[in-house]
Amino acid sequence: MTSRMLGIGFLSPAIIAASIFFLLPVLLTVMFAFTNMSTSTGIMGGDYRINTEQLRSVGETGISAESVEKLETAGFQITETGLAALADQFDEKVADELREDFLGESFAARRDLERVLRQLDDPIRKTRDRKAAADLFAVTIVGERFDTEEQFRAALSDTGINPADHDVLAEFAYTGWTWTTDNFKLLMELPSTVRFATNTAFYVVCTLTFNIIFGLFLAISTFYLPGKYANTFRAIWFLPRILPPVLYVLMWNWFTWDNGFIATVTGWFGVPPQNWMMQTAPRAWTVIILINGFVGASLGMILFSSAIKAIPSSMLYASEVDGANRWQQVRYIILPQMRWPILFMTSYQTLSLLTSFEYILLATDGGPGRTTEVWALAAYHTALNNYGGNLQYGLGAAYALALVFIGIALSVLYLRFFNFKELLAKPRIEQ
Amino acid sequence: MTNEIRTSALAGAIAVLAGPTFAEDINITVWAGGSNDSDSYRIEAIEIAADILEREAAIQGEELNITVEGRRDFTGWDEFKQGITLGAEAGTAPSIVVTSHLDIAPWSQAGYIVAVEDYVDLDSWPLNNVYPNLMEIASYAGTQWGIPQDSESRPFFFWRETMTQLGYSEDDIDALPARVASGEYTLRNVLEDAKKAVEMGIVEEGYGFYPRPSNGPDYAQFYLSFGGELVDADTGKLVLDKASMTEFYQFFVDLVAAGATRQNHIGTDWNQWYNEVANGRAAFWHGGTWHFGRYAREGNDDFWNTIQFSLIPAGNDAGRPNTITHPLVYLVMNQEDDRVEEIAAQLIAIATEPRLNSLHAIQSNHLAVAKAQSNIDLYRGDRWASEATEVLLSSASSQPNHLQYGAFSEAMFRGLESAWSGVQTPAEAVAEVEAQMRATIGDDLIVR
Repeated sequence: MTSRMLGIGFLSPAIIAASIFFLLPVLLTVMFAFTNMSTSTGIMGGDYRINTEQLRSVGETGISAESVEKLETAGFQITETGLAALADQFDEKVADELREDFLGESFAARRDLERVLRQLDDPIRKTRDRKAAADLFAVTIVGERFDTEEQFRAALSDTGINPADHDVLAEFAYTGWTWTTDNFKLLMELPSTVRFATNTAFYVVCTLTFNIIFGLFLAISTFYLPGKYANTFRAIWFLPRILPPVLYVLMWNWFTWDNGFIATVTGWFGVPPQNWMMQTAPRAWTVIILINGFVGASLGMILFSSAIKAIPSSMLYASEVDGANRWQQVRYIILPQMRWPILFMTSYQTLSLLTSFEYILLATDGGPGRTTEVWALAAYHTALNNYGGNLQYGLGAAYALALVFIGIALSVLYLRFFNFKELLAKPRIEQ
Repeated sequence: MTNEIRTSALAGAIAVLAGPTFAEDINITVWAGGSNDSDSYRIEAIEIAADILEREAAIQGEELNITVEGRRDFTGWDEFKQGITLGAEAGTAPSIVVTSHLDIAPWSQAGYIVAVEDYVDLDSWPLNNVYPNLMEIASYAGTQWGIPQDSESRPFFFWRETMTQLGYSEDDIDALPARVASGEYTLRNVLEDAKKAVEMGIVEEGYGFYPRPSNGPDYAQFYLSFGGELVDADTGKLVLDKASMTEFYQFFVDLVAAGATRQNHIGTDWNQWYNEVANGRAAFWHGGTWHFGRYAREGNDDFWNTIQFSLIPAGNDAGRPNTITHPLVYLVMNQEDDRVEEIAAQLIAIATEPRLNSLHAIQSNHLAVAKAQSNIDLYRGDRWASEATEVLLSSASSQPNHLQYGAFSEAMFRGLESAWSGVQTPAEAVAEVEAQMRATIGDDLIVR
């Protein structure tokens, strides 16, 4: 019993970390994906309000024509109740004067009534007092905010709206988010979905291929170099990974811009200056795959290099005695023993490429013409960042949720396909 | 030593005698979007207003200390709006924001902002002097949410020397704004002339027509030029006019095909863009009234003899020459402390004082928000402000304050981008825009 507790105790930091950094975000994504959360609904809940803009379509909700009319015509009216409240909270004299001149009169907007209160012989002098006084005569709920449904329903009753319509109106007036499955329907309907998916598949496959092949190339080629040179080369190729992404991409921008390095050099040969990153979609893809590829390849290089070093050198010596050339060593000794690291890099990089978009964001931001917009970037643009500030958290989460499922499915596939269990049980390298 | 003790004792006694006057400390944070150095008065006007309000309070025997903290170092509108929205959710929103009037609809719906009309008297000075159409733009659904901070418009520009080389006389060029306004000189003429300028080698390929390099309200102007309508006046619903949208996209596709505009133009660096148009590298382009000052900083100090400006020409018979004014507004954000909201609203009202607003208008080459500004020497003496007002503002319209307009304009620009860059034909792009809008905007959309 105690030993079990001890085990859990040791595991708890990992459990807490996994819950906070993995489980919670996933749960929240699932939750968000089933809501219509956006900038205009807010995240923290809403309140109840009908404004004049909504009045235009309130008739379409199916409430009775009488209720519609009551909502539309109500405004501010000088009534005895209002006057009594005014006399109580402000000044008897003001109330008397108002009663004398304006009893029974209606005002469409609060501003009209404020003007009256301002021009009385004995005016209410302070702006905020005037507004508070005017509010005492409100017989409208249009434009007013109510924090809770009860308050809203009470106000509806006060306005004399048929209780049968209260439910519909409460739903209509709610400004917060609601549960819905529309996001997924929308994803199926939107023509851009297929394009983003194709872009993502293209991006992942190309970058992954480049990563692995180039990483292997670097590892093997530096393996055959003398130690000092090998380390220098590895350090240089490791730069893309340790540079801050912003700086790294800025250098690429400088490299490819209209007045950047390539344009300048090609300019000597009479090529007109052009943007070597953004001119066409194929160029944008090439640059993006290279940018991400070099970052991934450097990690692959380190991993593969250490894996090659773990191969018993006696095997290589033996092969040399047998007359094998370099290529045969690579083909028959090194590569077969690299299955596990290659597999690891493939699955790790697939999953990280699927969800990473920062280098694309910094380089092309999905352009030109959304041709390099990948799924994760689309999720980011939809949910968190676009020119109009129209942030659709719900739809963005639905995008992200799709990625979560694809990620899990791919993980399972990799586990089965590469037979992870066997590899874990008996590392080939140690044979 | 003894002296000091005596003095402090005296000070203490006076403080006690004076009674319990509470010094009230208020912190006001102002975030201004889309602002660079020349827009510094968006924040500084609030600082000056704070000084005035403190003095007013002092006269009434209250001690009010207002600390104003401004921020305008945002990389773009996207980052600014993201910061505001997420800040509002987290309860760390600034007290005052300077932002697009288009944010009023969604932000008021979400409860991020409070209505200024709840705190200030709209019938008193200086708010009663603000142009009523601008006040209208700063309101939504019957409520005055904000106060216009500046006004502007987005003209079409011609490089005079290029026009001369194309065969226009000085008189022709001077008459251009009128010809554009009457619908005689249209976007078709722009296309022809831009193509000719490239073919004749006056400008380089891709520099015939050199549009804004990023998303912005400017592109809605071309939709209007081809007869589009943003909002249906009767129902208040957004309108997608497919024929106009297709022609609008087609115009940009034709420009690319003619070599007058670069296919990958969107995403061009803004600094590069300003420098090129200010120095005559492009034949035609479009921009904003505030570009006037920027061109001077880019080395063109002779605007009037090098550049002509007009409305955005009409595109076809259904369309009209037009320009969009996209005023920024001061908004008060929802705060835990109602007193902060009240002070913030009062500061905004004071900052609208014609003299204060003129500082911003002239420094940043924007247009006035209040009528009295035309009587302020600083404003009246500025040729650009008065001529731009005359040529442009009378025909200026604005984009609708509508909950879904953000989605509408985003979809419209995405469609333009994919047609322009050759990913889709204009017809395909419009079909996708329609699908996108139907799905996201739904009942609030009318498709024609």
